[in-house]
Amino acid sequence: MKQPNLVHPQNSPSDTSDKSELLSGRTLGLIISTAILFAVLVTQSQSFLSGYTMFVISRQMAFYTLIALSQAFCLVVGGMNLSVGAIGSITTVILGLSLDNWGLSPWLAVPVGLAVGALAGALNGVLITRLKIDSFIVTLSTMFIYMGLRSGISGGAPYKVPESFDFVGQGSVVGTPYVFLIMIVLLGFVGYMYQKTVLGRRMLATGGNAAAARLSGINTDRTVVWAHILSGAFAALAAVLWASMLGSAAPETGDDWLIVSFAVAIIGGTALTGGSISALGILMGSAIFMLIKHGLIEVKANPYYANSFLGALVLLAIVVDRLREVYSEKQRLK
Amino acid sequence: MLELRAISKQFPGVKALDNVSLRFDAGEIHALVGENGAGKSTLIRVITGIEQPDEGEIFYDGERLRFNSYRESLEKGIDIVNQEIQVIPESTIAENIMLDKMITYGRTGIINWKAVNRVARQYLEMVGLSLPPTTVIKDLSAARKQLVQIAKALAANARVLFLDEPTSSLSEHEVKNLFRILRDLKAQKVAIIFVSHKFEEVFALCDKVSVLRDGRHVGTKQIAGLTTPELVKMMIGREVLQEHLGQLDVNRNNEVLRAEHVTRKDKVDDVSFSLYEGEILGLYGLVGAGRTDLARVLIGEDKLDRGAIYVRGKGAHIKSVADSLERYRIGYVTENRKEEGLLLQSPVQTNVTITIWRRIVHRLTRSINRAKEIGVTWGMIRALDIHTTGPNQKTESLSGGNQQKICIAKWLAADCDILIIDEPTVGVDIGAKEQIHQLIWDLAKKQHKAIILISSDMPEIIKLSHRILVFRDHRIVGEITDVDDAAKTYDHLSMAIAKHLN
Repeated sequence: MKQPNLVHPQNSPSDTSDKSELLSGRTLGLIISTAILFAVLVTQSQSFLSGYTMFVISRQMAFYTLIALSQAFCLVVGGMNLSVGAIGSITTVILGLSLDNWGLSPWLAVPVGLAVGALAGALNGVLITRLKIDSFIVTLSTMFIYMGLRSGISGGAPYKVPESFDFVGQGSVVGTPYVFLIMIVLLGFVGYMYQKTVLGRRMLATGGNAAAARLSGINTDRTVVWAHILSGAFAALAAVLWASMLGSAAPETGDDWLIVSFAVAIIGGTALTGGSISALGILMGSAIFMLIKHGLIEVKANPYYANSFLGALVLLAIVVDRLREVYSEKQRLK
Repeated sequence: MLELRAISKQFPGVKALDNVSLRFDAGEIHALVGENGAGKSTLIRVITGIEQPDEGEIFYDGERLRFNSYRESLEKGIDIVNQEIQVIPESTIAENIMLDKMITYGRTGIINWKAVNRVARQYLEMVGLSLPPTTVIKDLSAARKQLVQIAKALAANARVLFLDEPTSSLSEHEVKNLFRILRDLKAQKVAIIFVSHKFEEVFALCDKVSVLRDGRHVGTKQIAGLTTPELVKMMIGREVLQEHLGQLDVNRNNEVLRAEHVTRKDKVDDVSFSLYEGEILGLYGLVGAGRTDLARVLIGEDKLDRGAIYVRGKGAHIKSVADSLERYRIGYVTENRKEEGLLLQSPVQTNVTITIWRRIVHRLTRSINRAKEIGVTWGMIRALDIHTTGPNQKTESLSGGNQQKICIAKWLAADCDILIIDEPTVGVDIGAKEQIHQLIWDLAKKQHKAIILISSDMPEIIKLSHRILVFRDHRIVGEITDVDDAAKTYDHLSMAIAKHLN
């Protein structure tokens, strides 16, 4: 056909490839925000830089990150998962049942718990794709189903777990909690998945434009189901680690996860409309979320208003993101 | 009474309107013509406040306008009847017509349904639709829905009425009736702007015609004294299109696709045909004639109710697009490249290689081979002459023609040798249109691809096809062979197509 009349690939000015994906303007902004918040807390609080505070904060951050990832998997494909916390709680109950009532070893009980989470996620995904019902309605319904099951099965009382089970949730190496290390490894895995693997790319494509993805030969239904399985598995993992940290399997685990999952994912730059995610962004999102929460404690904010702060924070994140979008749109048109 | 002064509107990658100045007068039917993508729809959207112009001013009765929403323009008496039908399907005819002017019992806010239905019935009679006003819209045919829309515009007492392809789904009788109504409105000093592709309607109905080409206003002429060739020249910018690109080498011994009695309820009615190596098979018909529905069945996107499909001689059970891509190497270039064809927010390489990710993945790490991805993309950029800064450019910022090339490239990357290409030049500017024609033709001539070309653009389908199947009411109503025979003239072929359609 025609002769090439284009710049050679090596000289191509816009071929910035990996760098741009790793450190987009948005992620850079998040890192700067985190640094500022961190600096404020260091200067304003004597105890902040202590080993103990760092230990607690990083461990809490790990949980936030896992919960946010659970939500982000579904946001990426253009859906959502309102049952994140409910999956966490049903996992906790089955885990407790396995360890306490059935006397299974942790080596067996943990896979059972993770499988329960993945299965609950799979059920969400199958219902959404088979019945062609919005993920909002499906996961709203299953949220109540799973929460009802956990109350019915547990009767509300916590389960005892063997002492050996505490090891991961409470332990640390050189002051860094195991939980934090696990989170970092998984975050790397998630980043790799979205940048490099077919499943990750297909999830992004499905969320970016489901019709175009399907008409390009992607089985979008299967992709959505996988996203929900991952979502369930990550929620279950967070629940298992939480039980390990508490040293007991408490059925109310997960009750406050929903808003956290959205807040951290959104602050971390996950598009609510689907098709975009940044692993590093989510890490920064959880750091910012954690630092703000810690800051509120430092200034002795009334804890009864905590939920209002959370809600306002989520709204703020969405507004900032929207303004950024409008601004870049204007820049592009100029 | 409605005057546009130097209106410009920029969309990413394309200047939709470029310094357009036009005047529409009361008591005049003014045709607005131009090719797909010439800017007609954008112009209407700007005037009615759905889009804001970047530059320029609109005057209405001498007063400067800046509509912020469609609602505001409605209040001023500017109304559109659209080609896409905009009615509320779950409501009744009366509710749709009277939506914003419900009659209530005094100020109680309680609707007087008797009065509403009575008034609605008057407007229905005006458009010649003899149905009870309480009929629910969703059960009506497309033609009747369009008449309801027109009745709604009448009820709104529009002073400026835009009709965007209003006859696309009307029968001949209904068209005549519509023209009578429009002439009545003209006598009542309504300014009517009539957007149409059909020259015979423009000449039969309108007083003036304004031509848009590539977003620019080419000229405004009185219909009296204007000839069709003159109008065509204004539209496409030269005398006639190149009629033929040459003769295709069709390999009659290699039937790559055969459809036998392919049927899908209410969409495709008993369609049978064969497609050969190196052939371009044109599917001509009006929008909604069942051609895209047929394509969707062939690629497994919609279910086949009855009939059989054979690919390269073997019975094929194509259950999904993934199936048609991986097992049968059939590619489908959709008619809506922005909605169904592309991930606009993603880089060019994602859209080119989306079909081959599975083939270039590392066996152990499951990682997509980046070098191959970029290599394949550059290969396509060169082969199809896609104008882009590189594989990393955001797809949204490319022009329509280059986006269309990417839609084709993804199937070429996946070695598909049966291509179904649906309305490839809608919203593409003239120069790019020629390039895409050449590209499609080369694919058949030089690479021996078998191509099904769906198009409602008669010059396009005659220029490219080897055979043409004419579709009407979800069926094949005629076949024209040896279209690429240089001895056959454009006029002869277009007459043959028109004969099958009527």
